[in-house]
Amino acid sequence: MLAQPDTPAVNASRDAVIDIDPGASCLEIQGLSLAYAGTPALSDLTLRVPRHRVTAFIGPSGCGKSTLLRALNRLHDLNETVSRRGAIRLEGQEIHAPEVAVAELRRRVGMVFQTPNPFPMSIYENVAFGLRLQGGLRKRQRDEVVEWALRSAALWDEVKERLGDSAWSLSGGQQQRLVIARTLAVKPEVLLLDEPASALDPISTLKIEELIRSLKSQLTLVLVTHNMQQAARVSDYTAFLHDGELVEYAPTDALFTNPRLARTENYITGRMA
Amino acid sequence: MDITSETHSQHISKQFNQELEELKTHLMAMGGLVEKQVQEAVTALLEGDSRLAERVRDNDNAVNDMQIKIDDECTRVLARRQPAASDLRLVLAVIRATSDLERIGDEASKIARNAMALAEAGNGSKGFIEVRHISEHVRKMVRDALTAFARFDIDLALEVVHEDEAVDSEYTTAMRSLMTFMMEDPRSITSVLSVMWILRALERIGDHANNLAEYVVYLVKGLDIRHTDPDELDDEAIKRRG
Amino acid sequence: MRRVRGEGPWAWLAAGSVALSLLLLVALLALLAGRGLAHFWPGELVQIELDDGSRFAARPGREERSAEGVERLYHTGNREWLGTPWRWVEVARIVEQRRPAELVIVERRRWGDFIGRVAGLEEDGVALDIDDEAARWTALDERLGRLARLREARDALRQQEVMPRVRALAAEQDVASRARLEDELAAANAEVLALQARMARDRVVLESVEGERLALPLEEVLALQRPNAMSLPAKLGAWGERAWRFLSEGPRAANTAGGVWPAIFGTVLLVLLMSLLVAPFGVLAAIYLNEIAHQGRLTRLVRISVRNLAGVPSIVYGVFGLGVFVYGIGGSLDEWFFSEQLPSPTFGTGGLLWASLTLALLTLPVVIVATEEGLARIPDHQREGALALGATRLETLRRVVVPMALPAMLTGMILAVARAAGEVAPLMLVGVAKLAPQVPVDGEFPFLHLERKFMHLGYHIFDVGFHSGDVEAALPLVYATALLLVMVILVLNLTAIFLRHHLKARHGALPR
Repeated sequence: MLAQPDTPAVNASRDAVIDIDPGASCLEIQGLSLAYAGTPALSDLTLRVPRHRVTAFIGPSGCGKSTLLRALNRLHDLNETVSRRGAIRLEGQEIHAPEVAVAELRRRVGMVFQTPNPFPMSIYENVAFGLRLQGGLRKRQRDEVVEWALRSAALWDEVKERLGDSAWSLSGGQQQRLVIARTLAVKPEVLLLDEPASALDPISTLKIEELIRSLKSQLTLVLVTHNMQQAARVSDYTAFLHDGELVEYAPTDALFTNPRLARTENYITGRMA
Repeated sequence: MDITSETHSQHISKQFNQELEELKTHLMAMGGLVEKQVQEAVTALLEGDSRLAERVRDNDNAVNDMQIKIDDECTRVLARRQPAASDLRLVLAVIRATSDLERIGDEASKIARNAMALAEAGNGSKGFIEVRHISEHVRKMVRDALTAFARFDIDLALEVVHEDEAVDSEYTTAMRSLMTFMMEDPRSITSVLSVMWILRALERIGDHANNLAEYVVYLVKGLDIRHTDPDELDDEAIKRRG
Repeated sequence: MRRVRGEGPWAWLAAGSVALSLLLLVALLALLAGRGLAHFWPGELVQIELDDGSRFAARPGREERSAEGVERLYHTGNREWLGTPWRWVEVARIVEQRRPAELVIVERRRWGDFIGRVAGLEEDGVALDIDDEAARWTALDERLGRLARLREARDALRQQEVMPRVRALAAEQDVASRARLEDELAAANAEVLALQARMARDRVVLESVEGERLALPLEEVLALQRPNAMSLPAKLGAWGERAWRFLSEGPRAANTAGGVWPAIFGTVLLVLLMSLLVAPFGVLAAIYLNEIAHQGRLTRLVRISVRNLAGVPSIVYGVFGLGVFVYGIGGSLDEWFFSEQLPSPTFGTGGLLWASLTLALLTLPVVIVATEEGLARIPDHQREGALALGATRLETLRRVVVPMALPAMLTGMILAVARAAGEVAPLMLVGVAKLAPQVPVDGEFPFLHLERKFMHLGYHIFDVGFHSGDVEAALPLVYATALLLVMVILVLNLTAIFLRHHLKARHGALPR
């Protein structure tokens, strides 16, 4: 069993969706509904994501978990067919508010994708990409941040001798950690991970999972995964989504040993509904 | 959520269904064997049949073998299937149950050894009434606990938990009367001590049956009620819990 | 090669068509290389005596079978006496055939080749008294060497002394300076004339086997060979020298002799200019279509139209170029900026600029389609990765998308170059010239003369092959030029392929 961290105050509830104390939550989603060209993808979702914890979204394909994750840093802005209702608040502030610049929001809420996507440049330049966009750093400072980010992503020792090499020369697992380092370099408050290990071998997967757990002290992590064992291994809280609805949201230990609802039970134990 | 005895046969993987089904079947077989051991040990005592007692003692090896076999199967399921939720609880309950059944088996062979000693000494049947009474009670508990396990029957399991209290008080009463025997007739001390051992073993069997019943509650409701005073258990709350 | 997978006629049919295609390609290249390269080989000369007692010297060529028997074509040269440098002879009439070592073939500045003997040398009109054959050859070689040095000195003098003063004179206003410059120019010109006089001193006396004599100024001699007396290395050397002159010199004798340097230069320059014009337009259009435009019905329509444009016959582009670029834009330019030169047009006639623009238009669809396909192959998560770091769409495009699509853009350029370098039809309408020995780049401001007409290898082939009076002389040149055109396209393509490979190697394969 996981060593349960000091749990944020959870209002004792018989409900299948636990209520995180607002003071301990980082992201707050309220009544969120989302549709692609009229087809609903998320319906009336309400939950709070606790600060400095790993929260996993699980559910079958098409349940809306990736859609939810992408909504958290407004990646849907690019798609004109997406319509949205409801609120998403980051540390109390509505992320769709007109005074929130989307670029600034995305720096605060970083995202790592399923397939490692390093840019066509050197390892160093990949990590420095976000810093250069912000500008204002001297080379010395930038070097320091790059090293810090690579160390945080547990990649420094593997690449410190070849920072000038193409990022595409790294292995898949290293590429994914590089992408995480690249995201860390801009010091986000939240890190969204969209199936970060689904394209990797088991050892690389374990390294990523270890990294996720070690990053908890610095930021809030939200993980979307198909792999229930992975959610069970790394997350503190797990939300089970089905058909665009939030079915059950509970501390991971509770959800994986004794789910409240039959739908959750059937999904995590691999039964036919 | 509530689970039933059918819950474990609805997996997408038929192989997994079969493995869990086998676990349950083997546990029931072991339970049946242990129950028979207890019954024969008590019969050997009451009828002074030392040959039967000997057989009970030797049969304990079979019980131990079954425990090892079922534990192996559980290990395999854990390693290969990484069960979650009710599946995980089933495997854990089975592992724990085999351990308790094995202890019941041990207690039965302890009774059989004492029965052999008493048969050899051949004197008196003081305390046999109490033994018969408590043994019947305890055997019913074991049977009910196994039935509850087989049927995922939470009501029956809670009944067993409460039954244990009755056994404990009967045991205290019996011990008190046996003490009286010893004080009245110091020559019977050796044989009465043996009977006291037997009663103690029966009381322990009751405790193990109680454990089995608690595992059923864990299995069905995901609630751990071990180390909880049965008087404080809110049965209705447990049954309502979804 | 692996064994053909699968049984049955389909596999054989497929493999057969591959083999046939390869065979045809190889045959094409072999034909071009064989015929083209053999043209420069110093083949042996023969002296023939016919049954009627007449004699002639010639280089034998191909044979043809007719009703009267086998006839052989001889290259006799000596056009001034024989009227034509070619002669068909019935093989049966040949009585004697010898290969005298002293037979020479002289490539002359005018009148084509001379075939015969060297009878003597003259200096300042006085015959030199050298009887010994070997000594005569040494003296001839000496004089040829001296002539080359004199020519070099004269050209240098023209380049360094005469031309700068001509230019300075054109710009100078001050009377005193003008007078001084004119004096200096006269002095330089006098020096040039003196050198030319020295060059004209030597003459070689040639005698044909029929007995005609000719005193030829050495200056008129481009090459003088005794093929029958040459060793194999000497022949190889002579072959290389002729091939090099073919590459490096301008054409002579109405394109039937001399080299193709202006055509090579024109072709390469045209393709480079075309690339410079088409690359930015094509790439920007593709980026707009794929990355920026709303992906609706209109975009789809535009895309389909662009793809269809690739199939429009090239002559149509030529007509468009003539109408719009040459007459429309060029005509207007002339009216606005070059009116003092009218009615002689500057931009209002075909030229390098209009030809490049027409070819750029012709290859634009290819570049757009290739670039678009490259852009479409870049996975969306690459773009999202940059956006998720707070990059704007422009930053994403510039720093992530375009670098990843570069190899595809280069592929588009390769295809465009391959298509453009081989186009002749539209060029005939918009600026190619039959003869333009002046290349469009020189030392004169503005150095690159976009309004000039230019020569082109493809058009040169067409012109030499079909518009020359001397078909027998033109044919080998057609082959050689065709081979050269293939080579030029190959080199242009290889350059682009190398560039693309280099780009790919920098970042490894595209991750999927």
